[in-house]
Amino acid sequence: MTRGYSRFLTAFFCIFLGGLLVWHLLLPDRTQSETENRTLAQRPEFSWSALADGSYTKAVESYFADQFPLRDEWTGLKARTEQLLGKREFNGVYLCGSTLIAKVNTPDTAVVEKNLDSVRRLAERTEAPVYLALIPSAAEIWGEKLPAGAESWDQAEFIAKALELEGAESVDLLTALRAHAGEEIFYRTDHHWSTLGAYYGYAALMEALGRGEEVLGPEAAKERDLPVSNGFQGTLYSQSGIHWLEPDSIEFWVEDRGLSVTSWRDGTPEETGLYDNDYLGEKDKYSTFLGGNQPLCVIRNGEGTGKLLLIRDSYADSLAPFLARHFEEVHLLDLRYYRGAASAYAAENGIGQIVVLQSVPNFITDQNLALLGR
Amino acid sequence: MIFSSLTFLFAYLPLVLAVYFLVPLWARNGVLLLVSLVFYGWGEPVYISIMVLSTLIDYTHGMLVERFRQRDRLARWFVGQSVVFNLALLGFFKYWDFLASNLSLLPGVSLPQLGIPLPIGISFFTFQTMSYTIDVYRRDAPVQRNLVSFGAYVTMFPQLIAGPVVQYKAVAAELACRRNTAEDFALGARRFTVGLAKKVLLANSIGALWDAQLAAGEAGTLTAAGGWLGLLAFGFQIYFDFSGYSDMAIGLGRIFGFRFGENFDHPYLSVSVTEFWRRWHMSLTGWFREYLYIPLGGNRGGTVKTLRNILIVWFCTGFWHGASWNFVLWGMYFAAWLILEKYVLRETLSKTPVLIKHLYTLAVVFAGWGIFAVEDLSMCGEYLSVCFGGGRLWSAADGYTLRCYGLTFLILILASTTLGQRGWQRLPARVEKLLTPVLMGLGLVLSTAYLVDGSYNPFLYFRF
Repeated sequence: MTRGYSRFLTAFFCIFLGGLLVWHLLLPDRTQSETENRTLAQRPEFSWSALADGSYTKAVESYFADQFPLRDEWTGLKARTEQLLGKREFNGVYLCGSTLIAKVNTPDTAVVEKNLDSVRRLAERTEAPVYLALIPSAAEIWGEKLPAGAESWDQAEFIAKALELEGAESVDLLTALRAHAGEEIFYRTDHHWSTLGAYYGYAALMEALGRGEEVLGPEAAKERDLPVSNGFQGTLYSQSGIHWLEPDSIEFWVEDRGLSVTSWRDGTPEETGLYDNDYLGEKDKYSTFLGGNQPLCVIRNGEGTGKLLLIRDSYADSLAPFLARHFEEVHLLDLRYYRGAASAYAAENGIGQIVVLQSVPNFITDQNLALLGR
Repeated sequence: MIFSSLTFLFAYLPLVLAVYFLVPLWARNGVLLLVSLVFYGWGEPVYISIMVLSTLIDYTHGMLVERFRQRDRLARWFVGQSVVFNLALLGFFKYWDFLASNLSLLPGVSLPQLGIPLPIGISFFTFQTMSYTIDVYRRDAPVQRNLVSFGAYVTMFPQLIAGPVVQYKAVAAELACRRNTAEDFALGARRFTVGLAKKVLLANSIGALWDAQLAAGEAGTLTAAGGWLGLLAFGFQIYFDFSGYSDMAIGLGRIFGFRFGENFDHPYLSVSVTEFWRRWHMSLTGWFREYLYIPLGGNRGGTVKTLRNILIVWFCTGFWHGASWNFVLWGMYFAAWLILEKYVLRETLSKTPVLIKHLYTLAVVFAGWGIFAVEDLSMCGEYLSVCFGGGRLWSAADGYTLRCYGLTFLILILASTTLGQRGWQRLPARVEKLLTPVLMGLGLVLSTAYLVDGSYNPFLYFRF
């Protein structure tokens, strides 16, 4: 190697390492990552005690990584490279053409059994009939889109078993959604069902609740001129690091007209609406429905009849607006945040029917559902 | 700190290089010592004290051996003391919990397990300093009177935490006087980049497959094909991880003006298990040969003694890799194959076609990785029995795995051969000059992308 060429290579190496260091130092720190949907680590405070116990150096590492220049671009480059190498799974998300589908891992059978048992116990404890409505995720309904041989836990088998559950009435959302598998019933970049998917869920649920004749046709259910929110990049977009897919759009079918919505976010009631439009400006656009996760939310409709209690997860938020057209009261109770007994709540509020409305991936892993049996 | 981290690459390394090359020559050992202590203390700051203690004790023992050279018994006593100290350090930090849990199985014995985190690199630096005192005694190495220079050797960060095992005599001259040239820097940087790419791009990606197969083994869904894919994945992971780390160490050493010996020589090209161990982790096998096998008498005391010595050395080699029975078993497994090859298979192997010998070696080595990789012995047995046909042979999931990892495997296989090296040497000088920075740039950029992605930690409100 000639001296000149050696110097060139040396400079090349040093400029790459040193250049990124300088860039890192000059770049203003960000507080939030939109893509990752979390706050980023900030420059840690130095203290001798933190240095001695090793927490300071760990904090420096996370700060350095979180504030690294072009963070999202590096991640995208990696995903692209992996794709070129033939990979189809990215952090537990399958890339299926232009659609992302979350893999469902084999759950802990003890948790599954316990949760089913809690539903049975709830049915024993309440006057009102209890319905178990399990929502299969895209990995089941769109199973054919998965890469050949790719594994995902068999939700259909589980739902078939759950339909047999003693004491609870069953709602077969698997069949209802399968009938429309060819339509856009899930988002492509998010794990939730789309408004269309929620609509089919609503139709099947109303049928099971014995009010099938009231179900509105798709055209009648679309009360708005469909003001659509484009540019929705959901959880799977974040989880997979695949950032090159066309964003989703969210539709909002039901109007606020004639409905009043009360949210208990921090223990006190607050009048809100079916939609929290602030979320439209953020990444987490799905939370526009009812304003996202909360312990308790009640939708009232003076013209409706019957009182319904939904034991919810976030799938319920896009379905509840459809139900609100028919029921006097729809209560959404989230056991991850609400610590009271569901049976007592139902009795106090004169609930006529209780629906445990849960997506399968949540139902098979959630440790809080055991509270149902209390 | 580890080399394959953003903090090391883009903060520690550029700063260290800047300081090292700005200070005058005489101060460079001092700089190396200081920055190495920072490197070492980064993960567990309190363990700097172990490093300092170890340095002081071995420095003193080297001096004492030299001082009392004329009184041989005393000198030997000091050598012995140094060996005992180093083994005690290693024994306490690495093996205490293992010994305590096993001895407590005996009736009437109850020893507490302490759960102390393992000081990184302890297996390497204790071996290095042990050989220093021995070499001083044997007059294979000059005594080091300068504490800073000795400290720089013991703590030298390029090889501190994952080898190669650099013997003192190999770098004694360079510690006293070394030249830092632009060519050394350029070659070192190139070697470092190769190692980084091996570790980050190859080892880490294929490691994910091994994790998946191991999980399948635990869930009972593993097939024979999947089992072997998993063993292949682990074998490639450990090779590219370890040899990549060695490449980075050798490259960094070269940048600072040291020539460390090679540690791997395309081990997967071997056509016998004996040859594999001449090409795999050469600095460790060399160490055991020089400081254990030969002092025990090597192969010069008749068959029984040779067998004993082989068993002792491979027990130690296995146990050195980790405080768990599976590593001991792994060492014994290779002892058995080496003895077989030495006494039984020699004739047969000499008549066997090279291709068959190659396949035989790979099968032995990769099945061995099964013992190495699964610490729980019953789990290990289950995994291997599936590999050898004790379950389903094939499932659709294996087809999926092959489609996802086929190209990666192809790259790994090619990278395990000398093909790349030979092709590179045939390139016209001009093309080589042009390609070097292009490939280095590609390696650095992609490695950075994979490392940043490793810290990518989306908060998924998978709270549905």
